[in-house]
Amino acid sequence: MENTRKWRYGFNRWLVLLFIVLGAVAASFFPPLRPHIQVAPEVISGPLFSLPVIGNFYLTNTLVASFVVYLLLILMAFFVRRAVNSGELVPKGLAGAMEALLELLYNLTESTAGKWAKIIFPWFTTIVLVVLLSNWLELIPFVDSVGWLEPVQQGGHAAQQLLPGVFAVTAGEAASQGGFNVVPWLRVPSTDLNFTVALAIISVTMTQVIGLRTQGPRYLSKFINTTTMFKKPLFGAIDFAVGLLETISELAKLLSFSFRLFGNIFAGSVLLFLVGSLIPIFAQSAILLFEFFIGLIQALVFGMLTMVFMAQATQGHGGEHD
Amino acid sequence: MEGNIIQAAKFVGAGLSMIGALGGGIGIGLSVQGALEGMARNPDAYSNLLTNMILGIAFSEAIAIYCLVIAFLMLFVL
Amino acid sequence: MEALGINLGYVLLQIFMFAIVLVVLRQWVYIPVLGLLDRRSKAIAQGLEDARVASEARANAEKDAEKIIAETQTKAALMIREASERAEAAGREIKAAADAEIAKEREAAMQEVEIERNQILGELRTQVISLAIAAAHKLISDAMDEKRQRELLEEFFSGVRAGRVVVLDGAAMDGAMEDAEVTSALPLTQDEQDAICRDILGRAVKVNNVNFRVDPSLLGGLVVRVGDKIMDGSLAGQLQNLRQNLS
Repeated sequence: MENTRKWRYGFNRWLVLLFIVLGAVAASFFPPLRPHIQVAPEVISGPLFSLPVIGNFYLTNTLVASFVVYLLLILMAFFVRRAVNSGELVPKGLAGAMEALLELLYNLTESTAGKWAKIIFPWFTTIVLVVLLSNWLELIPFVDSVGWLEPVQQGGHAAQQLLPGVFAVTAGEAASQGGFNVVPWLRVPSTDLNFTVALAIISVTMTQVIGLRTQGPRYLSKFINTTTMFKKPLFGAIDFAVGLLETISELAKLLSFSFRLFGNIFAGSVLLFLVGSLIPIFAQSAILLFEFFIGLIQALVFGMLTMVFMAQATQGHGGEHD
Repeated sequence: MEGNIIQAAKFVGAGLSMIGALGGGIGIGLSVQGALEGMARNPDAYSNLLTNMILGIAFSEAIAIYCLVIAFLMLFVL
Repeated sequence: MEALGINLGYVLLQIFMFAIVLVVLRQWVYIPVLGLLDRRSKAIAQGLEDARVASEARANAEKDAEKIIAETQTKAALMIREASERAEAAGREIKAAADAEIAKEREAAMQEVEIERNQILGELRTQVISLAIAAAHKLISDAMDEKRQRELLEEFFSGVRAGRVVVLDGAAMDGAMEDAEVTSALPLTQDEQDAICRDILGRAVKVNNVNFRVDPSLLGGLVVRVGDKIMDGSLAGQLQNLRQNLS
């Protein structure tokens, strides 16, 4: 019975109630609509320039968002550098948080990879930070919802002018003469397969590079295993086949890395759209909390799988494959 | 008419493809069960088990995610 | 691929951007922060080491102080004991000196008293003899001449007849290096003393010296002690023997 403080109505619950009421009012004026969902990133500009093999280059919304992510990272790096170079042993604020996170990740790397931790650590941490930031971009308001108005032939929504040049799509009977779609300026980079495939290619390629660097040419015998072929023909053949399977599994890693991240985050944003359009009030908040958690877990899983594969590559014949 | 049938087939296919998520769910449940039993018996191994459990969940979940991706492809791409 | 939106250009662009960010993060964040962590852990280790050294030094200092205190304590105890011993010795000395002085003084006083008494007794002797003669003269009325009477009385008191000690007649003397002590009832004259000395020395050659004492309780005659032999020729002794024989 110690510290019997009188229970009072807190301030934050009224804030939550206020926002729920505001959300209900806003949804009664502009009910959320199910946006057009597409896997490929939306193009938000005309052709910028042309390259010989690749063709025309357009600016896509995920590319813009990944610019934002990388800019944020570089800004953060700048601040951390300034804070660390100021000479204090215990940095404060952002640098302190970064330092705590890096210490955690480094200890994790060291416990798994041992003496190669210094080589693996930058890849691991950079992947974690990039994926984490790009996943959490989903939580920021107006991402995925503000953009150009694009006329379409089929479906689409009616557009209502709010201010000169500013429109809001509304549920209307515009389907007959072709409505409009919103092409958001920002879309979470993790919902773009280009981004996830790029990260997967980096991860798998650097795993091979680190394996070659630490084990030398012996690392290649994992894929083309001819060491036991001539001594024991039967088992040698099996080992050779296993080596081929290893090669295939490295390629499968590409697919699994890219589609795991893409699937999780894309499913998350689709879930957000659908829940927002079905239950416009409050329900999206719970999903946002869940997405926060999913984004963290996926970033850690991507980074830790990369780290574990790299650690296995340094240790010779690894056993675990996806 | 033909377009409607194709549309219906897409929806049916997407729904069927999500049956595969069953396997992922079972796998995640089993791995969490094992990890929790291990943690309960040996609380010292908590952190080690946790990281390995999350890795295992990621592997199992990948299967379900493949199904989800196939469903998305059917719904939004094809 | 087209439907999925995968485009080689975008993939390459993402890879390049990732590489740039990796290099930037590595140069600006990882290396400084890991260096910072390293420095900090070293600083912590250094601090712990310093603390350990300081605590060791403190323990050493405490030990030293304890040692010094113990040393001074033993030294102080030693000094106190020495001083008290010295004081005691001095006190004893003083006391002994005082005792010796007192004893000497007492001895001197005793000697004086003895001499005085002997003198008084010596003076008394002639008077006693005269009184005894006078009394006897009255009683036996000139049976003997006065000179003979005086000689008899002298003999009675001195125990010396015709230059020989009466007690020593017939006594064998063979002691070696003994002290002789002659006790008489009244002080002896110098002549008598000389006679006794001569007699004793004539019998026992090895007698060292002869002491003369005066004891009025003997009534008359001599008691001669040579070594552990006592020859009792005193009147008191004879009376004692008589009493024993009679009873």
